[in-house]
Amino acid sequence: MNLWQAFKMAFKSIAMKKTRSFLTMLGIIIGVASVVIMVSVMQGQAKKNLEYFEKMGDNKINLYLYAWDGGESIQKVMDYCLSLNTYISGITPNAEINDSVTVQYEAKTIKTNDWDNINWDVPGVDPWSTMLHVYLGSEQYGVCNNYTLANGREISFLEVEEEIPVCVLGAGAKEQLFGFTDPVGETIALNGDPFLVVGWYEKMDVDWRPEMDNVIVIPHTFNRTMNNNYDMNEYVIKARDAQSTVKAMTLLTAYLNGMFPKDADGNRMNGSYDLSSDNSAAENQQKASLMQSLVMGAIAGISLLVGGIGIMNIMLVTVTERTREIGIRKAIGAERSSIITQFLIEAAVICSIGGLIGIGIGYVGTMIAGKLMSDVFEGMILMPEPFIAFGAFAFSVVLGVIFGMYPAIKASGLQPVVALRAD
Amino acid sequence: MLIDIRDLYKIYNEGKESEVRALDGVSLQIDKGEFVAIVGQSGSGKSTMMNVLGCLDIPTYGEYHLDGTDIGSLSDKQLARIRNREIGFIFQGYNLIQELDALENVTLPLIYRGVSVFDREDMAMEALAKVGMDDRAHHRPSEMSGGQQQRVAIARAIATAPPIIMADEPTGALDSRTGKHVLEILRDLYRGGTTILLITHDDGIAATAKRVVRLSDGKIISDNQQEVDWE
Repeated sequence: MNLWQAFKMAFKSIAMKKTRSFLTMLGIIIGVASVVIMVSVMQGQAKKNLEYFEKMGDNKINLYLYAWDGGESIQKVMDYCLSLNTYISGITPNAEINDSVTVQYEAKTIKTNDWDNINWDVPGVDPWSTMLHVYLGSEQYGVCNNYTLANGREISFLEVEEEIPVCVLGAGAKEQLFGFTDPVGETIALNGDPFLVVGWYEKMDVDWRPEMDNVIVIPHTFNRTMNNNYDMNEYVIKARDAQSTVKAMTLLTAYLNGMFPKDADGNRMNGSYDLSSDNSAAENQQKASLMQSLVMGAIAGISLLVGGIGIMNIMLVTVTERTREIGIRKAIGAERSSIITQFLIEAAVICSIGGLIGIGIGYVGTMIAGKLMSDVFEGMILMPEPFIAFGAFAFSVVLGVIFGMYPAIKASGLQPVVALRAD
Repeated sequence: MLIDIRDLYKIYNEGKESEVRALDGVSLQIDKGEFVAIVGQSGSGKSTMMNVLGCLDIPTYGEYHLDGTDIGSLSDKQLARIRNREIGFIFQGYNLIQELDALENVTLPLIYRGVSVFDREDMAMEALAKVGMDDRAHHRPSEMSGGQQQRVAIARAIATAPPIIMADEPTGALDSRTGKHVLEILRDLYRGGTTILLITHDDGIAATAKRVVRLSDGKIISDNQQEVDWE
């Protein structure tokens, strides 16, 4: 008997025993589909979470400095950071001018931090998401905060040093002032003083930090004239990569501990600082999603197991029935190998069809779950991982084939008369 | 000598209290072209005898030569070949595969034999025609009467044109008229040169055979040639 014949026999058998074939497939369909759906949902969520943190800025170190001697210590820290240029690619103050600044372009006048005249009652408008802010930054402001230039350039080092009135706009600020016109080369007025727009950033679109798109960045040397020379406490440091972040954090911590030593009571002298990295937040998030992966993996594993037991049951239940059939086939001259081949193909075909249907349902189910979830988590796109789908498929098929062949291997080894007697 | 068995034993639970000697030292020789009835009461060992002779079961002790071949020395694969080519079985319970129609059931041994797709349908139809079932080729067993099923089973047994047909109570589940028809078919095969082994408990049916071997408690108690009137 050749292979083609075995295939035909297997298909015949599947077609004839519809209920059994269907029940066997059902176990596989449920197992594969549930694994695909659950793992996809889990991965989609984990990915969405990570996106939040990536946008916020990886390898970013936030430094808060409170020095009693004012600018002197701050300058030292900034110089020290510049000396760590193996690990650090930039540092910028990230200080906001807290007083309201009047921004003008042609006929338009918008006030920043205009909390007094804010109107919370316009439906559908979140005043917080459109509020403009003026930030004091260095030539590395964009790099440190993960902005991408849409057009133009950053503030230059010289412009910071020389206190030249230039600015870079966030996408939201640009839109409010210029609409769709390119602002590069235009001049806006801040509290009446002209500032040349040298560049603007692409939209960041961080849901919970809309102010990132509504910035007007000016050289931090304007702190003196525009911000009453308040201490700039907030700095953003950009490390070159994840490892550099760790290294820079260690070095900076040591340096700052030396600058602000603790007295006998454990209180810091000369001032204080706070150093944190978004990487640690991202790391925590990664840990959390790893845990989630493990939990979902366990659930997926259990559903595969349940599906597998389903397959096993239906296959074993039919052993008696099949044993008799095998007895007949042996009595009329079937070789053991022919019988095993037939059953192997039969099980493989049933399980493959079931597995494919399971993957299909899994994909459709994932899409539906994605649709439902995108109402809650905006922009969450669920896409099944082909690797997972294939893994679940392979597992089910192997399981099905093993248990499908079990009666064949067992019964075909019997004397025909023993197999025939099975009832 | 086609079939030659010597001191054949089939013992279940040997050495235990529940020991059963289904065959207890049987020797028997059957020539090509004989029509032999093996007769005995229920439990006499006649079915065991057929199973052993048909290579469906292996004896506990003893020698069995089929057409000069020592069956005891054959592999599983070689035994399958013998069952396929040398022997055609007719069972009391027909043993048709329920999911296959008559033609497919009859084709099955031809498939295992390796007959080409083009020939085997013709061969199967020919076998069905011999038993008068060619008009029911595409009926499933469940759509046929007992007599019709048994005729399909006979067609399956003769499809590969084996030199020996073994029939275990072929008329046991049939009414006397259809039973007669089945015996008629066996006689036709005998006339065509096929060796027939008919296992039965019914003396009336045994009376139609040319040689009657009587079994009791796993032993042969008589072995007679007889004249029959149907020739």
